[in-house]
Amino acid sequence: MRADAARFLARYRWVWAALGVLLLWAALSLLTERVSLHALSGVAATAAFLLIAALGQMLVITTGRGNIDLSIPSVITLSAYLTVIIAAGLDTNLPVTLLAVAALGLGTGLVNAALVIVFRIPAIIATLATGYMLATLTLLANRQVKTGRTAETLAYLAAGRLGGVPVVALIALLLAIVIALALARLAYGRHLSATGQSWTAAGLASVRVGTTITVAFASSGVLAALAGMLLSAYSGGAFLEMGSPYLLQTVGAVVLGGTLIAGGSATAAGTLFGAVLLVLIIVTMQIGGLPPGSQDIVQGVVIVLVLAVAGPGRRR
Amino acid sequence: MDDLAEARRLAEDVTRAAAPPPPLVLLEGISKAYGPTQANRDVTFRVAPGEVVGLIGANGAGKSTLMRVLTGGTEPDAGRLVYDGEAVAWSQLSPRACHRMGIRIVHQELTLCPNLTAAENFFLEQPEHRRTSPRWLAPYRRAVRESMAAVFPGLGLDPNVRVGRLDIGARQMLEIARAAHDPRLRLLILDEPTSSLSSEQARALHSYVTRRAAEGLAVIFISHKLQEVLGVADRIVAMRNGAIVSDRPRAEVTLDDLIEAVGGRAAAALVQDAAAGAAGAVLVRLSGTLTAPLGRPVELRAGEVVGLAGLEGGGQKALLRRLFAPSAARGGEAARTGRATFVSGDRRGEGVFPLWSVFDNVAIGRIARQPALAPIRFAAERAAAAGGAERLSLATERLPDPILDLSGGNQQKTLLARGVVGDAPVMLLDDPTRGVDIGAKRDFYRVLRDVAQEGRLAIWHSTEDAELLECDRVLVLSQGRIVADLAGAAVTEEAIIGHGFAEPEPGAAAARRALLTPERVFEAIPFIGLAILVALMASRNPLVLSSFGMQLLLGPAVVLVLVALAQMFIVGGSEIDLGVGGFVSMVNVISATLLVSQPTLGAAMLVGGLAGYALLAVLIQLRGIPAIVVTLGASFIWLGIGRTIQPSPGGSAPEWLPDLFAWTIPGLPTPVVLILGAGLVAFALNRSSLGVVLRGFGSAPEALARLGWSPLRYGIWRYLIAGGFALTAGLYLTATNHASDINVGSAYTLLSVAGVVIGGCALFGGVISPLGVVAGAVTLALIGAALAMLGVGTDYNALVQGSLLILILGLRTLLNWRQGDAR
Repeated sequence: MRADAARFLARYRWVWAALGVLLLWAALSLLTERVSLHALSGVAATAAFLLIAALGQMLVITTGRGNIDLSIPSVITLSAYLTVIIAAGLDTNLPVTLLAVAALGLGTGLVNAALVIVFRIPAIIATLATGYMLATLTLLANRQVKTGRTAETLAYLAAGRLGGVPVVALIALLLAIVIALALARLAYGRHLSATGQSWTAAGLASVRVGTTITVAFASSGVLAALAGMLLSAYSGGAFLEMGSPYLLQTVGAVVLGGTLIAGGSATAAGTLFGAVLLVLIIVTMQIGGLPPGSQDIVQGVVIVLVLAVAGPGRRR
Repeated sequence: MDDLAEARRLAEDVTRAAAPPPPLVLLEGISKAYGPTQANRDVTFRVAPGEVVGLIGANGAGKSTLMRVLTGGTEPDAGRLVYDGEAVAWSQLSPRACHRMGIRIVHQELTLCPNLTAAENFFLEQPEHRRTSPRWLAPYRRAVRESMAAVFPGLGLDPNVRVGRLDIGARQMLEIARAAHDPRLRLLILDEPTSSLSSEQARALHSYVTRRAAEGLAVIFISHKLQEVLGVADRIVAMRNGAIVSDRPRAEVTLDDLIEAVGGRAAAALVQDAAAGAAGAVLVRLSGTLTAPLGRPVELRAGEVVGLAGLEGGGQKALLRRLFAPSAARGGEAARTGRATFVSGDRRGEGVFPLWSVFDNVAIGRIARQPALAPIRFAAERAAAAGGAERLSLATERLPDPILDLSGGNQQKTLLARGVVGDAPVMLLDDPTRGVDIGAKRDFYRVLRDVAQEGRLAIWHSTEDAELLECDRVLVLSQGRIVADLAGAAVTEEAIIGHGFAEPEPGAAAARRALLTPERVFEAIPFIGLAILVALMASRNPLVLSSFGMQLLLGPAVVLVLVALAQMFIVGGSEIDLGVGGFVSMVNVISATLLVSQPTLGAAMLVGGLAGYALLAVLIQLRGIPAIVVTLGASFIWLGIGRTIQPSPGGSAPEWLPDLFAWTIPGLPTPVVLILGAGLVAFALNRSSLGVVLRGFGSAPEALARLGWSPLRYGIWRYLIAGGFALTAGLYLTATNHASDINVGSAYTLLSVAGVVIGGCALFGGVISPLGVVAGAVTLALIGAALAMLGVGTDYNALVQGSLLILILGLRTLLNWRQGDAR
């Protein structure tokens, strides 16, 4: 019985994050009047942007060897700028914008993957450097920004509601389901998990390790670009440093959700709950009137503590 | 001269025979089993002072196990050890205790840290001779010279050269010299000591061993080269199947006796090459230098079970890898037709997927080659996996169990089942029955036979020669080449062992030492780059070289130099600090606010920050969390603290602080003095004994821990040093800007990594160079100014700096490839 429970928890590690969400939500509801259904939908929208980017981070982390995508914040910011510039507030420009933004994400992901696989540069350095180079483009884009308007359709997708539920939350949920299904039901899920557990063993088992890793980085880039596009519509424009909170928060959502930081085991459901939990923690701090600085401290402490308690799963 | 020595030794033999001296080491009744394998059975082994014992035996005969028992590497199931007349409890016998007792073993796998110099490697093992002086390493340099001169006269090497730059033979010599140098030495165990030595070097070692034995040193000499053992040993012990089968004085044995004792028969009688027999299609073709000793190519066909035999390290594993590599499908010396599956015997390292169930572990054999977007048909996969499991008599109800719950034998069956369901025409097996019980082995043989009958080709490397009798055909490898192709009746254990041992002593591995190694190129890059950049800038504007110009240009470089040096010490430990920029910002804020208004609190917070850095090391070491995530989390903590203290830019510098950085040397602008000073401090730290240990941990943490160095303590030291440099950088920012801004440091994280890389440090492996980092950091800092001079906007700074980082890392990989190809 006990062993069964242990096995269940080992298999469904997202349960912890889900429990955390429930407990924190219950506590908030009891302690303050300000938590309402309306606030809930605000949390859902904020968590949705985080979730979209975090799903990509999850894929990259799962490729193992300490891989991590540090270029996500830069992709988000630049994508937001591209959206503002290219869409220029007009629905008719949206298809082109979507193409440009997807190309940005895909390109960044492919460059990252090439640096990691072909040039054997550690992912942490490669993505840090590509992100840094994108920052230059962002600075240039910053000069181009003229309009503050948002295309209607995009505004609906990012900030609208469907039966009281934020549309962006539905989009994020859909993406999470698609990725969860892909991980569980498609050959790619097995390829990714095998690769993350051991590059050598996966290679000897005939898994195409390079392709698998490339797909993970490319997905991460595209998802971050998508998050940036929607975020620009949500916040009505683009600004420098727009993406920077997503550096720690994507890693945080992934880790809180129970994906192994050492790679080889991903859970999209966990990342979903991890994102919601992280946003709830931030909301709690905002309600508690904590200054932004202290919020940063708490986020950092929570993530390090969770890892310190849960351990890395296994040592590299 | 030789006759004289011979006569003396004969005389010694006679006296010894008359009154056998009490043994220095007596191992009595040693038995040791690994799972089902009885590695040692009731072995009694003795060595007397002044005696050279040759220990021989085929692969898996039990020599290594016996030596592991003797050196505290493993505890036997039964038996006792008497050392110097006193019984030693197994629980007291550890590798370190053996050092103290004067027992030293030189392994086949070398244990030197490649990123350290010869002298530094001597230090790591015998730190007690250290002195506190800037020339603390001098005794170790002397030790290297003396010991090398004693063991390998005339073949000395520079004690200041990095071990990684030496060829394998030189490393082996150094390893032997290091063990021989230990003043406490009483028993020296040499395990295949001449495998990489030239004949000249080997001769030097032989005469050294004889000399030291005459002075009373006991020596155990393990070698596959029977001629060599005959030449150097006083007594020769042969092992087979875990037991001693022969133990006779050298004078009483011949080479043929020895070959027979290890289980072979004189090879010449058995040279009998295989006729191309089997009828299937040719799936693998080996030719060129691989088959040069045979003088004809080897073709392996569908329907065959082919064994790869030979002494360990004879090239069997390498051949399997070559055949598995995608390039094999394109032809070449090792060419393959059709797909191949690989079954590794190194379950933990390259076989099992530990997070998965048995079913998942089998099914990946089929799923691996499906397109990424193909849906998994679970019913079909289950049926296939169950089929594979049944063929191996692996109970199908175990399929849902976690793989790690299975015994080693069943894990190995899982891996074979994975290979079988992979359904490829060629199956490559790398010692798949290692540590597997006999029942499982039988299942293996049966399955291989089945697989061959289905028209596949199984190529099988085993370290257990007897097992290869199951094969239709056996290729014996030596020195990476095929020296025999045995088939049918010619496949006998004697023939396999005979051919493996028969290969004459190898010629000296050519000791090439390239002048222009990639490391040297990368060590020069930062200095050349800096010189070019400065020259370029000076040609545009000569004022650059004036004292005022340098003051102006190099002021901002000081911070980057300090931060890069901080990052360098972390990178020296094969880690990366993503929080260093945030930490610098926090120090900047604290020192511009609290340190002014409440000096005690401010100072306490700065000390607390350093303690926080130490805490990071504790978390990383004790909880095994990746440094990336811990330092990323920490960066938010640093930034959060800074933001809390001072949300928007402002503040002022404490009055005394600017004076702290106002060093002057006549003729040199202050920033130059500071940069050089920081570089020298880092240089001295890196050269100190602490720095050596830190670098050692960067490349071989396990080896250092085995030698007794504490990973936790030195992890803390590493982070404290890095924290110290970062702290100084933050204080300098306050001193020069007279204000603080929490966002000031964000760019420094990447720039510091870039500085470290451009400075010629390796991201992994503990190779760091402080002066190169200084030059690299200054170059990076000057790029902005240079771009401005060239009329390019500062917006492009990040682009240029980032590209430079990627460019250098990419170049390094390319050069390493070329070097790898040349080898």
